[in-house]
This record gives sequence, C-alpha cells and structure tokens, in this order.
Amino acid sequence: MAKFRKEFIKGLIITNPVFVLVLGLCPTLAISTSVDNALGMTLAVFIVLMGSNVIIASIRRIIPNIVRIPIFIVIIATMVTIVNLIFHANFPDMYKSLGIYLPLIVVNCIILGRAEAFASKNPIPYAVADALGITTGFMLALLMISSLRQTFGTGSLSVFGFHFFTLPILGEHPIAIFILPYGAFLVIGLLMALFRRTGAMKSE
Amino acid sequence: MPAKTTFKNAFPIIILTAVVAICVTALTFTDSFTRAKIEAQEEQKIQHMLSAMFPNMSRYTFEDDIYTIYTDGTEIGYAFLAVGKGYGGDIDILVGLEDETTVKGITIISHTETPGLGSRVAESSFTDMFRGLNIADIALRQEGGQIDALTGSTISSRAVIDAVRNTAMEKVELLKESEGRE
Repeated sequence: MAKFRKEFIKGLIITNPVFVLVLGLCPTLAISTSVDNALGMTLAVFIVLMGSNVIIASIRRIIPNIVRIPIFIVIIATMVTIVNLIFHANFPDMYKSLGIYLPLIVVNCIILGRAEAFASKNPIPYAVADALGITTGFMLALLMISSLRQTFGTGSLSVFGFHFFTLPILGEHPIAIFILPYGAFLVIGLLMALFRRTGAMKSE
Repeated sequence: MPAKTTFKNAFPIIILTAVVAICVTALTFTDSFTRAKIEAQEEQKIQHMLSAMFPNMSRYTFEDDIYTIYTDGTEIGYAFLAVGKGYGGDIDILVGLEDETTVKGITIISHTETPGLGSRVAESSFTDMFRGLNIADIALRQEGGQIDALTGSTISSRAVIDAVRNTAMEKVELLKESEGRE
C-alpha cells in the first residue's frame, strides 16, 4: 500500500506530466482556453490512461522489446477509438462537450510516455496508482493554466455555467492574447519558471 | 538457419500481428454495436434543431440535400446545411428558409473557432441577426448588409455570413429549378 501511495503522490508534483515531464503539451496548449475544457480533457485522459496502463501492465511479460512501441500505439489508438464510439452512441451530451478532446488523446504523449516508462515495467496495481497520480497532476496543471487564461482572456471566470466573477475593467476589454495560442505558451512558460524558481518542482 | 533462431526472430512479428488482430476485432465489434445508435443520434440532433427552428413542424422530407418542412401537408419552409471556412476550421451551419427569399433562422451545428472570440458566432446574439432577413441582405453592415460583425472576430463572422448567403442562393436556384420541372 505504501508503494501504491508513493506512485500516486509522485504524479502530482515530482513527475507532474505538464510542468516537470513536459509531456502532452499539444493538447494542453490547445484546450486550456477554459476550465470546462480542462476538466473535459482530464476525464478523457483518465479513461484512456487507466485503460492503456492496465492493459499494458497485464501483458508486459509477453511484449517483445523490439516491437513494444508499435504495440503500445495500437493499443492506445484502439482504446481511444472505442471510448469515442461508445461515448458518441450512449452519452450524446458528454460526447458533444468532449467531442474534440477524445480524438486529441491519440497525440497525447502522456499516455505513450507512461506506457513506456512505467506500465510496461510494473505490476497492475502500481500501474493503476500511476494512472491516478498522473491524471491528477495533469488536472492540477490544466486547472492552473486554464483558469489564468480564461480569467484574463475573457475577463470573467465561469465553470459549467456557474459564474464566479467578472473582473472590473477586463470584463469590458479582455486581453484576447491569453485565449490565443501564443497566450498558452506565455502562461505555461511563466508557470514553469515560477515553479522552478520557488523550488516546488525539480527535474526527476 | 536453425529452426530455433527462425522462431525467435519471428516471435515479435507474431505477437504484433496478434495484438493488431485483437484490436481490429475489438474495433469492428464496437463499431457494429454503436453504428445504428450513432446514426440515430445524428438524425435526432438534426430533427431537434429543425423543430426548434420551425416550431410548427409536423414532419420533414430530405431530398437532394434539402430538408422540406411540412405542417399538416403544407410546405412551411426549407432547411439545408452550409459549411463556412472559419478561423479555426469548418463551421457547420443549419440554415432555415421561410420561402425562396427570406431566412427563417440559422443554427451553428459545430465549429472549432477560438473559444471566447470566434466561438460567439454560435451564440443567439449573433445568429438571431439572420432571422427574417432577405437573402440579399446577408452581408456585413459596412458592405451594405444587415449584420454586425462580432468585435475581434471578423473572420469567423464573415465565414458564417458568406457560407449562409452563398449556400442559400445556390439552394434557392435548385428549388426554383425543381419547381419549374414539376
């Protein structure tokens, strides 16, 4: 149990996928425009990462080393497509809001990265802990980036229709650069610098 | 080459082929289970949008990419899909016509515009401006039309406007032609 805890906790900060491993930046940049999107992406990543980690950890002994990457990719792509189809057929409302994020997960290298670095070398329970920890770390990073971008880029913050606040002057004249792609680089860069500066995160 | 080495070399290929075969089977199964539901889902989505646009609709027919809307046997309008080239990709629009010159309304089906900026084309404050317009008046106000561009999202606004006007003109031609034939 202690090891389970350790594998979970490490994903939050020590191997935070976005700020420390610097993995999965493509979807992070693309979808961190609002908190709603960030939570939707987190849910999609959770389902696929959990599935791929468990499957790969359970067949890790029979995967030949030289074809491991193609096998991981085939498994991940299959998982994503199946989840996509099931959501589309059975949860139309959820599919509507997650629609663009599910296919994006195929290019999310967090999933492949964890398959290669962790799930292919560890038993199933630790692979589950790893998936939980990495997803939580991903969610924390996405929430930080997306709340900053949404607040400054639109002048107000609301999550799933629940309105938190509107900034006095920015509400009228939002800083649109935060919503645009270069704003994403700016915010992620500044947050990363802040974490390194305060020593909250060190490279592995 | 000894038989043992040959097998050792072939082993990765066999495993990879097996994994791919299992995945393909899983995908085929999922697809066959979900296909009917997904198609029904899409159909329902369109039906829902049509009845929101034409509250009196009792049924509709779909022919040559045009939906014809009926209330108890009388035609009350037409609807069709238009695709605009937005800032972030295609904008899919459902356009409703009351008759061959007047717009009933438009609904944005899907888009990938910048959230907070171009995404506002899907909001009713923008789409409501099309309601009741003559097709010829669908243009930006500074170009002699009746529609105000969204601040900071001229490309997205123009994409919707152009797609609606051009597709509407095209479809009206088709409608007139088919009426002439009958």
